[in-house]
Order: sequence, then structure tokens, then C-alpha cells
Amino acid sequence: MRIAIVTPYPPSQGSLNEYAFHFIRFLRQKPEISEIFILTDRLPDDAAYPPDTVAQPGLAPLHIVPCWRFGALDNALRIVRTARSLAPDIVLFNIQFASFGSSKPSAALGLLAPAMTRAVGIPTIVLLHNIMETVDLKSAGFGANPLVERLIRTFGAITTRALLSADLLAVTIPRYVEILEHKYGATNVLLAPHGAFDEAPPPSFEPPPGPLQIMTFGKFGTYKKIEPLVEAFRLLRETRRDLELVIAGTDSPNAHGYLEAVRLANVDLAGLRFTGYVAEEDVPRIFQDAGVVVFPYTSTTGSSGVLHQAGNYGRAVVLPRLGDLAELIAEEGYTGEFFAPENAQSLAEALARLLDDPARRRAMGTQNYLAACGLPMAEVVEWYILHAQNVLTVRNARRAARRREFVKR
Amino acid sequence: MALNTRSIGNVGVLDLHGRFDAHVAPAVIEWYGRLPAPQIVVNLVDVTFIDSSALAALAGGMKRCRQRDGDLRLCALQQPVRVIFELTRMHRAFEIFATEAEAVASFTR
Repeated sequence: MRIAIVTPYPPSQGSLNEYAFHFIRFLRQKPEISEIFILTDRLPDDAAYPPDTVAQPGLAPLHIVPCWRFGALDNALRIVRTARSLAPDIVLFNIQFASFGSSKPSAALGLLAPAMTRAVGIPTIVLLHNIMETVDLKSAGFGANPLVERLIRTFGAITTRALLSADLLAVTIPRYVEILEHKYGATNVLLAPHGAFDEAPPPSFEPPPGPLQIMTFGKFGTYKKIEPLVEAFRLLRETRRDLELVIAGTDSPNAHGYLEAVRLANVDLAGLRFTGYVAEEDVPRIFQDAGVVVFPYTSTTGSSGVLHQAGNYGRAVVLPRLGDLAELIAEEGYTGEFFAPENAQSLAEALARLLDDPARRRAMGTQNYLAACGLPMAEVVEWYILHAQNVLTVRNARRAARRREFVKR
Repeated sequence: MALNTRSIGNVGVLDLHGRFDAHVAPAVIEWYGRLPAPQIVVNLVDVTFIDSSALAALAGGMKRCRQRDGDLRLCALQQPVRVIFELTRMHRAFEIFATEAEAVASFTR
């Protein structure tokens, strides 16, 4: 099977780049896959993607094809044109609602790509990491007032219908399947597990010697706000000096300059460290060095990659009491300490409960590790191959039936 | 959970009971490896719960059998288990029969 995957891919810093990296790492090992095309976004200044250094016999060849640009209005056209020229057997989209742009027109127009790709005759599967119905638009950087928010929701529903015209649409949370089936009458939605990125041996559940690190990881500035976390860290530093707060990651594409502004506002705060972009090879160390991983979310969009990573490395986690995230924790077997969203005092108390109790941190890290081991990405990829094969079988059967009908006439 | 196995002609039949989850899946995968013929029926009549690890074990078994020109077929799914198959759309990937007799007979057609 020749497969094209539309997704941000490292070193692109677009959202879901890391998920794509791991998904493709396992996908190319499968004997059913003969060739992979990554239809990805252009890098700043049109820099070249690094060559595929892990190519070897037994791995499907990987072709990186930068063909769209974050924020451009013509991404759907570019993707369809590129897909047609490559003629893969199937196209998989690894996306969320803001994958193609931070402005409403660019985000919405880009999401027409799956429908347009299918319209030109290429089978499509969409892996949608969030759905509009559960996104807090204000916190995510969209929808400044209620009227605008309602307008966006209407366009969101239209866009969702367009996405549902793919052959299959996969989501990672059972409730999303229910919403899409009930609200849109969809019959082509399926639940696919998120998958664990690494099949690493059991990690050390102890942080290294030195100051205990509180770490947060991601792309910040929209629904991941670090101000309450920094404030909570200030409160904790009043009584304990053996702490460090590590902000690992970059600005969200929708919030350029956000982290620098927070840094400048807190230059007096000892122990606060910003890592900037974390390269793939540095991710294990970042998590292993952390005593606690914090999720300073003001809303959730359903993407749970960081939670899975924290689990992979056996870390204790502190999360906001937000419906979606709590549900995800319960459904996937994770556990965490909870705080009231955007409340620094509540967050400081939640952190203190873990910082003061190494046994509890260890127990929580162990449970999260076991939860992350649930289904390895290698198995999740098998599911997508099965679904892709079914889509192709049904298509071929329909085509054969049409031919027979034509011959009869 | 009990793992009872038997043969009907060339078809290996696996009876599972109770929860089919990450604790049971490794034993099922290990059983595939010992089968001489790649024709398997998994009888789920007494299974009350199934998780993603179990689905992965079944999908892996089906792939393995099909690579050897056989198949892994399922029978007698109870409602809670059927819901999981439908939610994950795995009911489209497997051949599923109402009874064990029908599933075994399907290999001789």
C-alpha cells in the first residue's frame, strides 16, 4: 500500500508533529506499506527537511513533500494537487481544527482538503484529534465575543460535515464518536486508541538528584497558559528553595511572543527556566528529569500526547479539573492530582501534595506508566492498516460492480 | 480468566470467559503460535468485557492467519462486546457469526 499522510512533521513545529513522527516510525515497519509520502508544511524560510537517515531494507521508503504552508488560504488546493500527482492508494490526515492556520479562514479552508481529496477519487481517512463541540474557542484563541463564537460554531459544524465526507473519520475519545453520530448522523466514525509512543523499558520512577523539577511541556499561549503555574511556583518558593520550574517547548503558532513576555515579566524569579524547542532526542531527558509534570490548560482540545508521554516516563501529573481531561484520565487508566483551572493557589496546593510525598509520586508514576503501556503505537498503526484495507476493498468491489453493470448494458 | 482451547477438524476453537483484556491477551497470542493450522474461531459467548489490548490481540491473530491463507473468525458476541467492536469499527474487519457452528462451518465452504 502506498500511503500519503497529511501532517506537520518534525522539525516543523506544527501541532501534532510529534504524534506524526511516532505514527510514521511504526507505520514504515509494516510489510503492508510499500511507500510513504508525508505531505507536510513548508518550514520557515523554505528550509529543507533533513534527509531520511534511518532508511534501511525492511522499512518503507519515506518521501517528505512540503506542499502547504501554515496560515495560507490555498492549502486544500495544494494538498489535493500534490496527492493527485503522487497517486497514493490512500491519504491519511493527522489533523485538528487549527492544523492549517491560526486565522479562521485559513483554518477552515485547509480542513476542506479531505473532502476535496476524496472528491477527486482518492480514498481518505481523517484522524481528528479534537472536535469543535468540545473546544473552548475563547481559550483556544478564537471567538472574542459570543456572536463571533456562535458564528465560528456554525462554520465549525459545516467544516465538521465536510470532514465527515472522508471515507472514515477516527477520533481517540469515545464521547467524540457519540457526539459525531448523534449530532451529524455520521456512520463512518470510529474510535482508535491514541497509542503509546515508546516501548521503553520500565523507567526510573525517581527524579535525579538536585533541585526537584516541576515541568510543563507543549506549545503555549492559547489554551496552555503558564502564568498561574509561574505564580504557583512563586508561592512554593516562599517555603522551599529546592525547586525548579522548567517550561519546555515553544509558543503556539497562534501566540507568537507569549513565552518571551512571561519570561521578561519574571526575570526576578530564581529557578524558572525556559528550554525553547525540544528536539526529539532530548524529549526523554526532559521527562526523566521532571519530578512532576503539570498541564496548565485552560481548556482541552482532546489531544493527549503529553499525558501519554508523561505516562511513558512514569511521571506524576498535575491537571486542571476540566471535563474532557478528567474523562480521558478515567477512560485510559491514568491518575493525577487536580487543581482549579487558572487558580495559582489551587495549583500550588496540588503541587505541594505531590512534592511533599515521594511515595505518592512514585505510585502515581507507576500507574501512569502502566496506563501508557496500554496499547503500543505499533498496534494502533495495525488498526489503521486494517481500516485502510477495508476502505480499499469496498471501493474496489463497488468499482467492479459498476464495470459489470456497464458491460451488461 | 479461563483460556479453554479445543479443535474441531482443522479449526482451532478458543473459548474465553469474563474479561478479555491486557492480562489475557498475551496468553491468546502465545496460543496462536502453537496452532498447526491457521484456521481459528474465537468464541466470545461468555466474554463480558473487551479492551483495546484484546482487540489488538484478535487483529494480530487474524493478520497472522491470513498471511498463512487462513483466517480468525469470531462468534457469539454479546451486546457489551459488540458495542466495542462497532465503536472501533472492528466489526467490519472480522468475519463474525452468530454461533460457533456457523463459524466453524464457514471454513469448509
